[in-house]
Formats: sequence, C-alpha cells, structure tokens
Amino acid sequence: MLVSRRLETWFTSPRLLTLGIIIALGWSLSRVDWQQPIGHTGGGAAALKVLLALFPPDLSPEFLRICVVASWHTLAYAVAGMSLAVALGLPLGVLASGVLATSSDGSNLRRRTLMASVRFLLAAMRSVHELVWALLFVAAVGLSPMAAILAMAIPYAGILGRIYAEQLQDVPPEPVAALRSTGASPARILLYGYIPMALPDLLSYTFYRLECGIRAAAIMSFVGIDGIGFQIELSLADLLFRQVWTLLIFLVALVVAVDWWSSRVRRSMAY
Amino acid sequence: MERIDLQRPEAGQGSRARFNVLRWSGYTMALLVIAAWAFILLEGNSGLTDLFRERTWDNTGRFIASLAGSGSDGPSPFVQAARWRETGRLALNTLAMSVLAMGIAGVGALVLLMPGARNVSDGTLGGAPSRTGAVAYAAVRIFYTLTRAVPELVWAMLIVFFLSPGIIPGALALGIHNLGIVGRLTSEVVENLDPAPARALRAAGASSPKVLLYGVFPQALPMFLTFLMYRWEVVIRTTVVVGFLNAGGLGREFRLRMSWFHYEDVALLLVWYLLLVIAVDLLSAQLRRRVRWE
Repeated sequence: MLVSRRLETWFTSPRLLTLGIIIALGWSLSRVDWQQPIGHTGGGAAALKVLLALFPPDLSPEFLRICVVASWHTLAYAVAGMSLAVALGLPLGVLASGVLATSSDGSNLRRRTLMASVRFLLAAMRSVHELVWALLFVAAVGLSPMAAILAMAIPYAGILGRIYAEQLQDVPPEPVAALRSTGASPARILLYGYIPMALPDLLSYTFYRLECGIRAAAIMSFVGIDGIGFQIELSLADLLFRQVWTLLIFLVALVVAVDWWSSRVRRSMAY
Repeated sequence: MERIDLQRPEAGQGSRARFNVLRWSGYTMALLVIAAWAFILLEGNSGLTDLFRERTWDNTGRFIASLAGSGSDGPSPFVQAARWRETGRLALNTLAMSVLAMGIAGVGALVLLMPGARNVSDGTLGGAPSRTGAVAYAAVRIFYTLTRAVPELVWAMLIVFFLSPGIIPGALALGIHNLGIVGRLTSEVVENLDPAPARALRAAGASSPKVLLYGVFPQALPMFLTFLMYRWEVVIRTTVVVGFLNAGGLGREFRLRMSWFHYEDVALLLVWYLLLVIAVDLLSAQLRRRVRWE
C-alpha cells in the first residue's frame, strides 16, 4: 500500500518528467549522424557573406516595388485563407461544442455522436500541415491560387473550430438558461446568448491566428504561390543575399504590424 | 459593447476609445477581406471555377485511388516489411528532429528567461533596477520578435546554405522559430508571477541563481512545460515541411516520392506522419495534465 502510493507519487512527480525529457533529448541526439561534418565545407565563409550582405540590404526602388507587391500577395492570401477558415471553422466549432442541442432534446446519444464526429473531423483537418495539404492538392488538381487558399483554410479551420468550441462551452450558463426559459429556439440561443458572450474570446483568437496566417501564406511559395517566401526563394537561388535581407525585413514588418494590430484589438476587448 | 459598459459603468470614460479601436478594426478587416478576395479572383485564373468542373473531381478521385494503389505495378509498399522498416527509420528521425527542436527552443528559453522578463530588470523581483538589465530585456525581446516573425521554412532555407543535410538543420530551423514563441510566452509568465517568494529570498541574502532556482522556477515551470508541449504538437506537423528542404526524415522522402509519382509510397509516408502526429498529441495531452497536477 505504502509502496504503491510512493510509486504513484514518484510517477507523477516532476522528477520523472525531467528524467523523461533528458532521456528524450539524449535519444534525439543519438539519431544525429555524427560521422559527417555538421557544416558544409566553406559554410562558415558563406554565413559570413550572408551576414555582411545586411550592410546595406538592397534598397533600390525597383526592388522595393517587388517587395511591396510580394507583401501584398502574402497579406491577401493570408486574409483570404483566414476568412475561409473562419467561415468553415465557426459552424464546425458550434457543432463540436454541442451548444445547439437543447436539454429537452432527450437523445443524448445522438448529440454526443454528432459532437464526437465533428471533433474527429476537426482533428483530422488540423493533423496535416497546410503545406502538405497544398502538395496533395497540387498533385490532385494542379496548382491554382484557390488550391493554396483551401490548403491553408483546412488546417486553420480545424484549429479555429476546436478553440471556438472550447470558448463557446466556457460561456457562463445563467444567461443562456434565462434565454432558454423564455422559450427561445436553439438558433436564437446561439445568436443572442452564446455568440455575443463569447465574442471577445472568439475575435481575440481569430486575430491571433491571423499572425500565423501571414507566415503560412508566406511559405505557400513552396507550391509556387507568389509572395514574400517565393521572392526569398528566388533571391536565394541567385545568391542575392542583400535582397534576401530586404525581403526578411518586409516579412518581419508585416508580421509585427499584424501582431500589433491584434494586440490592440485584444486589449480593447479585455475587461 | 453595451454589455461591458453595463457591467462596468466606471469604465465609461475609456469605452469611447475602445469602441473606436474595435470599429476601426472591423471596417479595416472587412475592407481587407473584400480587397483580398477581389484581388485573388480577378488577378488571373484563380481556380475557383475549376472547383465546379467535373474534371477536377475526376482528377481528385483518380489521385486518391492512386494513393490507395490503383494503377501501380509491382507489390504495394504496404505489404513489404522492408519498406515499413525503411520508412519507420525516417519517421524516427523525424521524431528525433522534433525533440531536438524542442530541446533547442526549451534550453534557449530557459537561458533567456531572466533577461527577457521586465520585472527582473526593473527590480520588482528584488535586487536593484539596472540599466544593463533594461538593455538586455530590450535585446532579448527584439531577438524573440525576429525569430518568431520568420517562419520555420524560411529559416530552413537559410540554414541549409551552411549546414550539411540531416536532422540538425531542420531541428535548428524549427528550434529558432519556436524559441521566439516559447521564450516570449515564458517571459510573460515570469512577468506575471507572484514576486513575494523571490523578494523574500533576495532579502534573506540568496544569490541570483538561488533566487532563480527557488523563487522563479517552481512557479514558472508548469506553464513553461505546457507551452513546450503545445508547441511540440505544432512542431511535429512542421518537421515534415522542413524536411522538404533536404533536412532529412519523412519530409525529404515525401517530396521525392511525390515528384516521382510514387503515390503509394506517399500514402505509406502519410500513414507514418499521421501516426507521429497522433502519438505526440496524446503524449502531450497526457504530460500537460500531469504537469497541471503538481
């Protein structure tokens, strides 16, 4: 009895976790091929060259124009992908949260099955990275902007749906119960009870995700979609490191701007 | 907004400015969404009409069928033990890459934990406010912003220039990006924690490492590990993407098989990918619950 309890506390103790982390790290290091040199021959010189190219980056007007256009592409794809993700994720999130079913529905089993299957769908959507979706779409139907947007929207809708569902479930029950007692339909309860009360959380998370969406859109270059990532790839292929730096500055500025905007929105809703 | 004003009438003064930020953001966002879609749909062939063509769906069906092995000659890779072993080894490498990446991000975030928190340099946690501390704080935060803003894949593009292919460049790319995310979140935890234990320790004459060890770590560690686990779930999905750039593991093989139209092998790799994702999700959820119990 005492031994088993002691064993149990030991197993749930931070010691075990620490040990596990150390073992995991050691194992991952053992998978590294230490036979070959870690750097390329001349890798150090190349790194130095790349670093020195920062002074100064390419700021010629023609190239800045390319950067602005590429930034707009990235922003447009991010916004389009996110808006589609919200359009997909919100209904799925509502279904997954189970708030639509009234308690008088009776058939608890049916409600649970629906919730579980929507949750599974959301998990499946977000288990594959957007670029893997993109590669699969490209192989299936060929490259098009729509394919890239869909590839981005699917995993993002999976994440948004899951978080939306959690946020809807966290809504305090009293106002909802009051609405229900007036005989409001489930749709009305959702529209006038759940959604308004969860709105600050829903918006905060959506805005936060937009920042991630910018990065996701930037790397859609991998399937040939124009944007900052695409231009970085081109400049790297031509070894034009000064251009790479300029593009990186644009990317960082874009992400920081969206981050700033979303933190302003979040702060304005905090209460 | 009315609801908030009703709840907190004393906040009435600030509510006007707050309302304007929200309204302005709403209009801007609506405008952005319209502009983005208009641009994408009008710029060239967006592929939207293709969604409603029969041929597109035929192609999709054919692609899914070829993932399942239709039209390929020779035995399926799914029935060859050797193929399972080969791809399993790649999956292990991918897993190792993700663990290594988390190691880099975790160790980095722990090292920068103190300089990255504002309440360390301004003396809230005890000790004198210092100018060097303020400079270090700004430097660490700028570093976090930069590493976070650049996506993993772009880091990988840069890193494969210097490092030879393998797990290391991929882990480094993922580690740097996630250092920015985990580091910022953890520093914010330190900024929000209760300063009393650290102050008491400092007042009793404890050295800085001791204050860190007994005043900060015990409070901050559970959240730190939770963030690390959450990010691990994201990282395991991204390892494959970083692997596209010769960084080893499943990703490289996935891209090669894709370009050779070996769709059955692609399907096998996808199976491993999904197994890894599910395993890491489950493990992370388990560990997170365990951490919260403490």
